[in-house]
Amino acid sequence: MRRRDFLGAGLGGLSLAACEPFPSQPRPPVTVHHPGMQAGHALRDQGTRNWPEPTGEIDCDVAILGSGVAGVTAAWKLAREGHRNFVLLSGPEPGGNTAGGGQGELRHPTGAHYLPLPSRESVHVREILHALGILHGDPQAARPHYDEMSLVHPLQERLFDGGRWHDELLPVEGMNARERERFQHYVAGLRGKKGRDGRLLFAMPSASSSQDSEWRALDALSFHDWLQREDYRDARLHWYADYCCRDDYGVGSQHVSAWAGLHYFVSRTGEAANADTGSLLTWPDGLHTPVQAMLGQIPFVDEAGGPRRLAGTAVQVRQRGGRCEVIALQEGGRSLRIRARRLIVAMPLFVAARVVEGMQDFGFDARRHLLPHSSWLVANFQLRRFPREPVPRSEHEYVLPLAWDNVLREGKGLGYVVATHQLIRVARPERTVFTAYKALPFDATHATRRRLANAAPGELLDEVAEDLLLAYGDALWPLVERVSITVRAHAMSIPVPGFLSNAGLTALRELDGPIRFAHSDLSGYSVFEEAAWWGWQAALGVLGERS
Amino acid sequence: MLDRILILSVFIVASCGLAYELIAGALASYLLGDSVLQYSSIIGAYLFAMGIGSHLSRYVRDEDVLNRFIDIELLVGLIGGISATLLFLVFAWLEAPFRGVLYALVLIIGTLVGMEIPLVMRVLNARHAEFRDMVARVLTFDYLGALAVSLLFPLVLAPKLGLARTAFVFGLLNVGIALFTAHIFRAQIRGLRGLWLRGLVSMVVLTAGLLTADRLTLWAEQGLFGDQIVHARTTPYQRIVITRWQDDLRLYLNGNLQFSSRDEHRYHEALVHPAAESLPAARSALVLGGGDGLALRELLRYPQIERITLVDLDSEMTTLFAESSALTALNGGALRDPRVRVVNADAAQWLEESREVFDLVIVDLPDPSNFALGKLYSVPMYRQIARHMAEGGYLAVQATSPWFAPNAYWCVVTTLKEAGFNTWPYHAHVPSFGEWGFVLAAKHTRFTPPQSYRVPTRFLDADTTRAMFSFPADMQVPEVEPNRLNNQALVHYFERDWSRVIR
Repeated sequence: MRRRDFLGAGLGGLSLAACEPFPSQPRPPVTVHHPGMQAGHALRDQGTRNWPEPTGEIDCDVAILGSGVAGVTAAWKLAREGHRNFVLLSGPEPGGNTAGGGQGELRHPTGAHYLPLPSRESVHVREILHALGILHGDPQAARPHYDEMSLVHPLQERLFDGGRWHDELLPVEGMNARERERFQHYVAGLRGKKGRDGRLLFAMPSASSSQDSEWRALDALSFHDWLQREDYRDARLHWYADYCCRDDYGVGSQHVSAWAGLHYFVSRTGEAANADTGSLLTWPDGLHTPVQAMLGQIPFVDEAGGPRRLAGTAVQVRQRGGRCEVIALQEGGRSLRIRARRLIVAMPLFVAARVVEGMQDFGFDARRHLLPHSSWLVANFQLRRFPREPVPRSEHEYVLPLAWDNVLREGKGLGYVVATHQLIRVARPERTVFTAYKALPFDATHATRRRLANAAPGELLDEVAEDLLLAYGDALWPLVERVSITVRAHAMSIPVPGFLSNAGLTALRELDGPIRFAHSDLSGYSVFEEAAWWGWQAALGVLGERS
Repeated sequence: MLDRILILSVFIVASCGLAYELIAGALASYLLGDSVLQYSSIIGAYLFAMGIGSHLSRYVRDEDVLNRFIDIELLVGLIGGISATLLFLVFAWLEAPFRGVLYALVLIIGTLVGMEIPLVMRVLNARHAEFRDMVARVLTFDYLGALAVSLLFPLVLAPKLGLARTAFVFGLLNVGIALFTAHIFRAQIRGLRGLWLRGLVSMVVLTAGLLTADRLTLWAEQGLFGDQIVHARTTPYQRIVITRWQDDLRLYLNGNLQFSSRDEHRYHEALVHPAAESLPAARSALVLGGGDGLALRELLRYPQIERITLVDLDSEMTTLFAESSALTALNGGALRDPRVRVVNADAAQWLEESREVFDLVIVDLPDPSNFALGKLYSVPMYRQIARHMAEGGYLAVQATSPWFAPNAYWCVVTTLKEAGFNTWPYHAHVPSFGEWGFVLAAKHTRFTPPQSYRVPTRFLDADTTRAMFSFPADMQVPEVEPNRLNNQALVHYFERDWSRVIR
């Protein structure tokens, strides 16, 4: 039995036994954040009544509720088109799933960390990246030029499998080469393929995809079942498909619609003049950087009439006499009334369903139409030194260095990302941050969430440290200065089988009145492109009305 | 019973004999290269020596056979056991006589091993064994032993124990056979006590060798620096070793030669003067890397340069070169010069944070041998440097060897162009490095190679300068891509180019 096998077995036993069989290294201090939990649970428990009487009032043309990617994009687009009279209400966590933390060289994501090169159809993402100086030249060119600092530098990724690191996530060794090739060939064949309505079968944003019923029928089965049906048997290929689903949708291939599973592989067609197709854009603190840069381009002022940014969380939304009225809870238990001609509700739908009065009238019934959400843990391990990577056993053995994204095939998490990877340095910095991601197993009974809400920091630490311990063993602990864990219990919508024919989502997407919705939940899954798309659409809708 | 024991010892003796042969062959091909030549000449010499040994065995008198056999086992064990370590040490410290020592050892061991089997046969013969039967059994086990070791050696012993320790293990086996034989035949042996003593001393020597072989070979490998180590220190960033041989001081970082005091003036004059001489108005200079102060020494020759900032990561390096008298004699105390400011910081990070602008920028950073270092030669890095350069200023970059690594060298040139610089590639012959490459770069196009130098130079003059900026027909420009952060073409070129040079 190799050391690593032993370690893996030991860990498995540990979670069952709940106490450690051997005294081990002392654990570092842990802080746990539950962004939005308090506000969300207050909404759940208190309903829409009994909020404190507003102490202030704001009147504006457009109010954007929520400052995740959708909300920020809506605000950015409005400002870019010259609209000034709007308010951006932060919501409980500014940035939402693109939040980040840390300072200087130790900046790190507490949410999403990368963005694939935008496809031709992602015109909105291209325009944003162009305005931010990340995409150079014609934003809609087939192969634009991207800022090198933002493209992931080598080594992009590596996979720990069979006791050593390999340089591709799709395992080559121990895999049926014919199946691997068949799968890759099939996926490549679908790229650029159009349905009977002349639209791409799998486009990003998904709203631009074909409505061809023959292909949308894939939505009836899970991605796992589709792989079985197509006679893919290889365990490693199944692992890879499952890993990709967990990485993007938060749950394994058994719970993801086959249409969404294929969409992941087919829709990322962005090309670049100075990078390979399939390259990724990233920043030390993940998507926090571009989202902050977008906010930086909005000429916020602190007075009525100009674009305003307000801290606070919407707890009640209703229409009164042709106007929209929002109650926003602010710090210190105060509240604020916002009156607006138009609203862009840029919050998750499970929250909107408790905040917005009369959701049923829009055609959305929370009990039937809400998609389940996956739970994530994002843990940032601040290290005083880089852990020791395996050294070559002989001069001729090449050992892969630490990559940006490090995945362990036998790990239960999604691996870890190195926040300092993109720095240019003569010597690598002394300290660094490893961001470990873990999507928790699908749970229809919400027991996972109840556990997360009450878990002790040490318990959560053991859970998020698994992958890192698999890679480095107990030698990791003395290197860890501290760990900050972000619990995202309702992180992202899951595109479960049948999500394409969700009538409630369709209704909200097509809503064209004083209240519009903008959130990746409308697409059924949470990626930057989708969230930005709905923010963009909402802004265009508002602007179209005005002119 | 006794016969069986003798036959078993044949098996072990044969194993040991072949082991020494294999170790010598492996070591020779490992240290000298050309393995086919090394292996076949070693095997030839060894077999020849065994022939001599067989021949000599006839001069052993019948009554001495057992005693001589034991003596030979002890000798083979001792010499064979230390052979690999001895050869390592010789190679490290005295390169020239290595072949001589190698073949002498092969001949001595071969001769001794060649005597073993004839003597064993005579012992058995004297015990009235059937001749036909005896020859068959002895040779069978002889060859079986050879087979066992020829498989064990490459598959288990060499990779797990290494050559030095493998030799000690077999040496111990030989001595063990000697002592075992002495014990079994104690009734027929003369001088038993002296024999035991010799055996035990051999055991102790070999065991000590086995335990310290690692340290000995490490010592030997450090000896590969060749010269006396006058300073060695491991800092958080690197291992600094300074050696001296006669008047030659050498600096090694992580085992790589950085300069030899005999010819470093060529490197540093070439790095600094084409740029500095061309900008008589230069008031300020920035040196990235170069903690040895040698580029500083050249810059300080220009009285009009008022301030020089040197950014080097390793404070132990800059302190050493500021304080050690042997080293300040070399760099003229440049690191202590009042015009010089030493910043111990990461050069790339310092560029990000500083707003200062300089007339001259000298970049003397490590070769792009991995992805992290490759970023120091990228378009964004050069754009960053450009922000710290005056419009009329010059940049000089050390850029690995255009002869050994032409693709890497020209990739640096292409990358500088991509970053918006005009470039003037040049090269100089530095004997301890070979042909070395530099790139001069500027935001303007005014540069022409200097015709003369106002400061004293040992290497540069009009002729050498003209030659530096001209690339002969066998050093033409290959088609290469610029080094982008996301593809790191340079690191790939560098690896491929040098792998063709280094065996």
